[in-house]
Amino acid sequence: MSGPILALRGVTKSYPQGGLLDRLLGRASNFVALDDVTLQIARGDVVGIVGESGSGKSTLASLAVGLTRPTTGEILLDGEPLAALMRDHAGPWRRRIQMVFQDSGSALNPRKTIARCLAQTLALRGVPRATREDESMALLALVGLGSEMAPRLPHELSGGQRQRVGLARALAMKPDILIADEPVSSLDVSLQAQVINLLSRLTRELGLTLLFISHDLAVVRTLCTRIIVMRKGRIVEEGPCLDVLARPAHPYTQLLISSVPKGIAGRRAPAAAAASATSSVG
Amino acid sequence: MSAPLLRIEELRVAFRGTGGLIEAVRGVDFGVAPGEVVGIVGESGSGKSLSMLAVMRLLGATARATGGRVIFDGEDLLAATEARMREIRGRDIAMVFQDPQSSLNPALTIGRQVTDVVRAHRRVSASEARRIAVEALERVGISEAGRRLDAYPHEFSGGMRQRALIAMAIACRPRLLIADEPTTALDVTVQAQIVELIAELRRDLGLAVIFISHNLHLVAEIVDRVVVMYGGKVVEDGPAADIELAARHPYTRLLRACVPSLHGPLGPLAAIEGAPPRLGRMPAGCPFAPRCPQAADACEREMPPLATDGARRIACWRPQ
Repeated sequence: MSGPILALRGVTKSYPQGGLLDRLLGRASNFVALDDVTLQIARGDVVGIVGESGSGKSTLASLAVGLTRPTTGEILLDGEPLAALMRDHAGPWRRRIQMVFQDSGSALNPRKTIARCLAQTLALRGVPRATREDESMALLALVGLGSEMAPRLPHELSGGQRQRVGLARALAMKPDILIADEPVSSLDVSLQAQVINLLSRLTRELGLTLLFISHDLAVVRTLCTRIIVMRKGRIVEEGPCLDVLARPAHPYTQLLISSVPKGIAGRRAPAAAAASATSSVG
Repeated sequence: MSAPLLRIEELRVAFRGTGGLIEAVRGVDFGVAPGEVVGIVGESGSGKSLSMLAVMRLLGATARATGGRVIFDGEDLLAATEARMREIRGRDIAMVFQDPQSSLNPALTIGRQVTDVVRAHRRVSASEARRIAVEALERVGISEAGRRLDAYPHEFSGGMRQRALIAMAIACRPRLLIADEPTTALDVTVQAQIVELIAELRRDLGLAVIFISHNLHLVAEIVDRVVVMYGGKVVEDGPAADIELAARHPYTRLLRACVPSLHGPLGPLAAIEGAPPRLGRMPAGCPFAPRCPQAADACEREMPPLATDGARRIACWRPQ
């Protein structure tokens, strides 16, 4: 198929603001979370969506998986309007877009073992009971977890392991598009690196289309081929990831880049007390 | 180096568990000179926040300091009375936390919360306290500070709230500011502003700062010295440039390598396999040995001592 796998056409999402009284008196206004966004995602693209709180990046994700509906505009999945597909709640379209959430702790049922969580997801896809266990083990292996994880409950896993289970569960549906909303921002740096490397390998091996939502430009540079920079509900800049980061055209992109911690190299005026620190920088 | 302002000696902190005490800080030892900025870096569970809560005597009911000394300006804080600690907190040592939202009282104005701190420590009139509060808020870059005194926390953005908390912290001109992940809950552009503010305060007020973070890149930008903690122990410390660019402990090296950068080569990130040790399940030897690519038999058997090497200290049997 040559067209974009996912397309947004003039999508706006607004929420009413103010209480009942304000609305009765006609004083209510709308908060525009996403403002006339048009974009196309090609099959196999690994797209980083960056922006700060209030930029609309998470709204974009929930619209794309069908958790909310746009106020105006249209979302197309392989050329077909998502609004029409959504009339069939459990239709095959739902399998095709899967999501991984930021907080792996609250995204898994605390009373279900990992094996059960995966088996139920496989059942949704119509995998026969007899092969569910084998497939569950294969999924765990795919995300780098051993079969010893299967009988455990979520709280017995580390944050990084839980995030891998979340990923395995999303992959159990054999999605075409994976949307990951800040999947590593609550993890320690060492575990963050493990999950980024894993996502990078999976997109290559499975040919997944990935929408990776993040506020961390350095992480996006490591993982993504395309970047979309958002601010206040609008796309302010987009393009090939390395080009945009090397030659940012929009002042906001430039500001985001200059805000990334640079370590010793980022020191402006070295303090006198750090004399030993400055001597070895050059 | 001049005499330290704060000297932490062999500090131990334990939680009360079902099977007795579970040690989480296992003999931490370092100092902070007047006006010095020290970064403490480590993953969750490394004991970095717990050590600082022990310094402030804010451990709460479930944990307590079980050994060591915390000498601030010649006085052992672990032996001080609670009344004495109330004098010291806020006046001599102040602390800001990760989540500015939950550190402020939502029902009181910003002005009331800053003046409360001032009047708790200084015998000043209400109008003088207000003047000091305005000055502190202006100092941290809050514009129209006089008008903002009457605002409530929910009227401030996350970055403004963190600024207000820093204003509360510096209002009584403390000599030491402890900042526990002060930027983790903030957006990147706001994070950069807060880091810049802390560097400015240190420069202008001669404040000593302990900056706790899990991001070595972030702290290296503003601190003089970095203390790296793992498994409740200091595993390496030294001048910021040495630690960031030429670390000798395998953990510190990996900690730097696993953070992606905006420059440098692309490709898989260095990853530290496995997870940090869990409380109550600390290995007998070096706590990092189970994840360490350099580990040998000796590492699993015995904890290496924190050995001095010029300006730095390293606890490793096989430093690089």
